[in-house]
Amino acid sequence: MARTVDEPNEQRAGMTRGALLRRGTAAAFAVSMFGALNDRALGFYGPLRFAHKQLSGELRILQWDHFVPAYDKWLDGTYLKRWGEKNDVDVKIDHINNALLFSTASSEVAAQSGHDLFQFLSPPSSFQKQIVPVNDIVQEVTKKLGPMSKVGQKSTFNPKTKNYFAFPDNYVPDPIQYRGSLWNQIDTPVRTWEDIRSGAPKLKAMGHPVGLGMSNEIDSNMLLFALLYCYGGFVQNENNQIVFGKGSNRKGAIAALTLMRDIYKNGMSDEVFAWTAASNNQAFLAGRLSLAENAISIARSAEDSGNQTLSDDTWLAPIPRGPVMRMGNEHVMGVYVIWKFAQNKAAAKKYLVDQQLDYREHFLQSKFYNFPGWTGAIKGGFKSIRKIAAADTHKPRGKYTVLTTIAEKYTTNIGYPGYSNAAIDEIFNRYLVPQMFAQVAQGKLTPGEAVTAFDKEFQRIHRKWANQKLV
Amino acid sequence: MFRGLRTYGVLAPFAILLAFPFYWMLVTMFKEDLDLYNTSNVPYVYNPLRWKFWESATTKHVTFLFTDTDYPRWILNTAIVGTLVVIITLVVALPAGYALARYSGRWGQTAGVAIFLVYLVPPTLLFLPMSRLIVELGRLPGIDDQRGLQDSLWSLVLVYPSFTIPFATWLLMGFFKTIPQELEDAALIDGCSRIQALVRIVFPVSLPGILTVVIFAFSLCVNEFIYAFTFISTSEHRTISAGVPNQLIRGDVFFWQSLMAATLIPSIVLALLYNVFLDRFIKGFTGGAFR
Repeated sequence: MARTVDEPNEQRAGMTRGALLRRGTAAAFAVSMFGALNDRALGFYGPLRFAHKQLSGELRILQWDHFVPAYDKWLDGTYLKRWGEKNDVDVKIDHINNALLFSTASSEVAAQSGHDLFQFLSPPSSFQKQIVPVNDIVQEVTKKLGPMSKVGQKSTFNPKTKNYFAFPDNYVPDPIQYRGSLWNQIDTPVRTWEDIRSGAPKLKAMGHPVGLGMSNEIDSNMLLFALLYCYGGFVQNENNQIVFGKGSNRKGAIAALTLMRDIYKNGMSDEVFAWTAASNNQAFLAGRLSLAENAISIARSAEDSGNQTLSDDTWLAPIPRGPVMRMGNEHVMGVYVIWKFAQNKAAAKKYLVDQQLDYREHFLQSKFYNFPGWTGAIKGGFKSIRKIAAADTHKPRGKYTVLTTIAEKYTTNIGYPGYSNAAIDEIFNRYLVPQMFAQVAQGKLTPGEAVTAFDKEFQRIHRKWANQKLV
Repeated sequence: MFRGLRTYGVLAPFAILLAFPFYWMLVTMFKEDLDLYNTSNVPYVYNPLRWKFWESATTKHVTFLFTDTDYPRWILNTAIVGTLVVIITLVVALPAGYALARYSGRWGQTAGVAIFLVYLVPPTLLFLPMSRLIVELGRLPGIDDQRGLQDSLWSLVLVYPSFTIPFATWLLMGFFKTIPQELEDAALIDGCSRIQALVRIVFPVSLPGILTVVIFAFSLCVNEFIYAFTFISTSEHRTISAGVPNQLIRGDVFFWQSLMAATLIPSIVLALLYNVFLDRFIKGFTGGAFR
């Protein structure tokens, strides 16, 4: 008898209960075990899902886990979804711990594969050879929004190659956060570094030391670079030459090192040498510290902690003034790079432009953490930003308005007055400045010896990058 | 009676010392932020102190872990990777360990030590070349995926045996040496083939060693961080070791209570596993020490 088309069905109908159970179990096992493994999108995206859109394909973004979880939720779930639909791009975003950004970037570079857009929290000048210059989109945004912020420009432009190696999406002002009631008790303002030097011993005696880190972490790095500016101890000059050990720079650096040694000896505890980026937050939230320098994560965490008294007593101020100037660093410089090996460069560029042109919501969702790389990205500029900040209802009322002043007047790039170049990047990421301050505070080196020793190291690093023609 | 008291008296301080981290995690995971950060509070209990202590505690941080992160998925991923790596490790290390123990004489001893030395090469040195390898594997003819095995659990399944196999081989080699050759000879005389002798006689006798390898290889997979972090970038594909510090430490804000819950849960599972097989585990580790 000839086979009919029904035969296979008959065969299935003949399956025993035991066989069905066996196959079902095997299938369930396979799905549970290997379903999780076969988890990647295929390379084929099919026709456009949305008519008349110019882009297509996949855009992969990697950035830090924002300290405001709600920001990531909004970005991933609302903003990127909306942008992806509008541009017919399947956007995939991954978030990682900020301390692991450089190791992940190194891994992607080694593999020559990874994300299309990679966000760093400090200018990654040493990766320049792996990065697509973004002069075209910088020009495009500047045309629409006006000039880029100075801090953004000095952080991402390489005057040697005449290229923008990164796109300055945002920067974060770095205020002093202090306990108003404690500083009032000792009747000392928080205006100058001399105020801190004189107030710290009294506060330590009251059980509330000041918390200025001297450890291998970002907060210490930002603060101590800035302290050097305040005292005129610049690591490099406007022409990106190392001048740390020369003339007034040496004098300024010695004065800054001496100041920090005094503050440490009389107004701090040993813990500052072993701090992580979270330590000053935790010590402040525990009610122990009278002062710390950090982004607004301390003030915001205090609001969320339920400790109303502490929250109401947390004030913000610009970095204290030094004898030469009052100048702080950005606490975070959020810059995106497009790798040379990126698969979807067109979508990456379009995303960066669109995000900057529509930045107001990013500022709000980040609870005033992310200031736009172009001030004009929020309509009305600093005036508008101040107004938005003033509307914040947390006590002390209006405390966040000072962020605008800090952003406008007292925020600069790492490596000021020069650019954030590859040599500065290495000095920054090897935490050499905190190490120098720590060695002086611990009495291992005198301020003069420290300046001489570290100037030599800075010169060596500069030579290395100059030989690669990146400085 | 007195002897029993003395035994417990000696053991109690050690037990308290070893159990304390678990107690600390357990208490902390249910603490309110206000309680946790106030340094004037007693850290070992819930504050304010009440008889009904649960009124000073909260489950919101544990709920956050399960509802606002991919934690359940990380547990599943860890179990999948761990299981597959254990299988691969056993498939390779059992015959390798046996061959080195029985057939290779002095050369085998040297090879065993050399294999163990491979285990000592730290992943911090290997992760960059391994990254390249993971991508290149996807570019082999017929696969043609530009990203290779990046962001896939297969990358971990492939890489983890590079450190579990050397250790397992070395461990099993020592264990096989303790099994009398006469047992196998008897099986061969009775008509077994070499493979049958292995499967029916040697492996059952070696069960403590094999269990040790299973637990040890699985623990290594659960603990491994660098490969898990650099090869996998999507949260839902991560394993516990990479997912927990990644999503529960945001900038300079630590979600302490959720971190404690996230680490306590797998710790308890592993502790129970070790406890159930403790005797065999000790036997497995000391098996190669005495002949």
